[in-house]
Amino acid sequence: MTITATTLKLNLGPQHPSTHGVLRLILELDGEKILSCEPDVGYLHRGMEKMAENMTYIQYLPTVDRIDYLAGCFYSELLCRTVEKALGIELSLRVKAIRVALLELNRISSHLLWIGAFLMDLGAVSPFFYTMRERELILRYFEKLTGQRMMYNYFIFGGVRKDIEHIDDIEEIIKILPEKLDDYEKIITNNPIFLSRTKGKGIIEPHIAINNAITGVNLRASGVNYDVRSNDYLYKNFEFSPVVINEKDAWARYKARILEIKESIKLIKQALEILKKEQSLNQNLINPLTIKLPDGEYYHEIEAPRGMASIYIKSTGLDKPYRLKWRTGSYYSVNFLRSLLVGEYLNDAIAIFGSLDVILPEVDK
Amino acid sequence: MFSIIEGLFTVIKHLFMKPTTLEYPEKKRYQSEMFRGKPYVKIGNDGCVGCGICKKVCPAKAIEYIQDNNKKVISYTFNLEKCIFCGNCMYYCPRGAIKLSQEFELATEQKEELKLNYKGGCDD
Repeated sequence: MTITATTLKLNLGPQHPSTHGVLRLILELDGEKILSCEPDVGYLHRGMEKMAENMTYIQYLPTVDRIDYLAGCFYSELLCRTVEKALGIELSLRVKAIRVALLELNRISSHLLWIGAFLMDLGAVSPFFYTMRERELILRYFEKLTGQRMMYNYFIFGGVRKDIEHIDDIEEIIKILPEKLDDYEKIITNNPIFLSRTKGKGIIEPHIAINNAITGVNLRASGVNYDVRSNDYLYKNFEFSPVVINEKDAWARYKARILEIKESIKLIKQALEILKKEQSLNQNLINPLTIKLPDGEYYHEIEAPRGMASIYIKSTGLDKPYRLKWRTGSYYSVNFLRSLLVGEYLNDAIAIFGSLDVILPEVDK
Repeated sequence: MFSIIEGLFTVIKHLFMKPTTLEYPEKKRYQSEMFRGKPYVKIGNDGCVGCGICKKVCPAKAIEYIQDNNKKVISYTFNLEKCIFCGNCMYYCPRGAIKLSQEFELATEQKEELKLNYKGGCDD
C-alpha cells in the first residue's frame, strides 16, 4: 500500500465499537472516499486447528462450540458428523429431528443478535433491546436443555447428550417470534433513515460474490440460489425453500435474514411434528475413549448462519487427527472487504461491514 | 412519513410493558438443574474410584488426583483457572461422583481459591 501526501491512513478498529476489539481495518482515505482497505485479523486467534492435533476427538468436541460462539451447534454437528460418517454410525429419525430443531433455533438466535447489532451500528438503539429479549428466550431454552447458554456441548458422536425436553418451550418461542418479527419490520424495514443508509450500499454482484467464495445469506441476497441445506442429509425429510433476493445491497441482506428466520420457524415446526411421532431415541453411542478414525481424509459441510462451514480431517488411524481444517463463512466475508469497500464513503463502511454478518472468532479460529 | 409513525407507535407500545431484566446482585435468576457451574466431587466408598476417565476426557487438563498405595483416591483437584465447564467429566464419570453445581459466581481475590481440592472430609 502506498500512501501519498493527499491521502489519509485511518485505523478503523480495533477500538471502534462496531469492531469491538477484534478487527482492525486499515483504510486509505481521500477525503471521505475509501481508496483501499486492508483487514488486519488475528486478535482472537486461539489456534483451534493446531489444538486439535494434540487432543482426542472427545476432548476436542467441547471446544468447537467456541469457533462461533453465537452458533456453536453447527460446529459440534460438523465434528460429530465427520466421526459418525467415518465410523458408519446411522442416526435415528428422532435424533435427526432434535438436531435440526436445535440447529435452526441456534440460527434464529444468531440472526436475531445480528439484527440488533447491525441496527445498533447504524445508530438505532431500540431494536437491539427487542431482539436481545427474544434471543434470551432461545438462550434460556438452551440453558434448560444443555446446561449452558452458548457453549452447549450437547451433540455427541452418535446422538445427543440426552433426550430433548420442554418441547412446549420451543412451541412458545415459535408462536411468539412471528409477531415480534412483524414488530421489527414495522420499526426498521421502511424507516427512511435505515433505507437511506442501506439501500444501494455495498452492492455485491452475483459473479463477484461467487468468485470471492461468499456463501450463505450474503450470497442468496445477491440472487444466487445456493443453500447447502438443500443437499444436506439431516434436512432430507424437511420441506423448505431457500430465501433468494435480487436486490444485492445491504438492505437485501437485512431482509433476507428476516425471511430466513421465518423459514427456520417452518423447519422447527416440521421437526417438532417428527419429535411427537417418533418417541424412541435409539441412539448409537460409541465409547468416546476408543474413537479412532480410519486412515484417510474426511470432508463435510453445513449451512451455518454466516455461510457455508466445512471441516476437513486427515487421519492416520490414530485417536487424534493428523490435520484438521475449518472453513468458515466469515473469513471470506472479511477478505472480501478489500474490494467491497473501495469507492464507498467512510460513513457507509460500518453499514456495509455490518451487513455481511461477520463474527471474528470464526475468522481467526 | 407513515412508516415513521408506525415505528414510533410500536416503540411507544413498549413503554407500557413490564421490564424483562432483573436487578442482578439483589435479585438472582433461577438456574436450571442442568447448569454447569462450580464442580463438586464425591470421594470415598460411594464416590470416585480413580478410574481416570475424567482426566482422559477433560479438554483443558484441569483435573488432577492423588492415589495412595491401595489406589484409593485421597485428594482430587479441579483447577478452575483451566476448567472450561464443558461437563465432560460429569457426563462420563461411571460412578456419578462429579457434579457441576448451579454456583456461577466464582470470582475471587485469592488465586489459590480457584484450585478446588476435595479430600473426602466434612470441609469439602
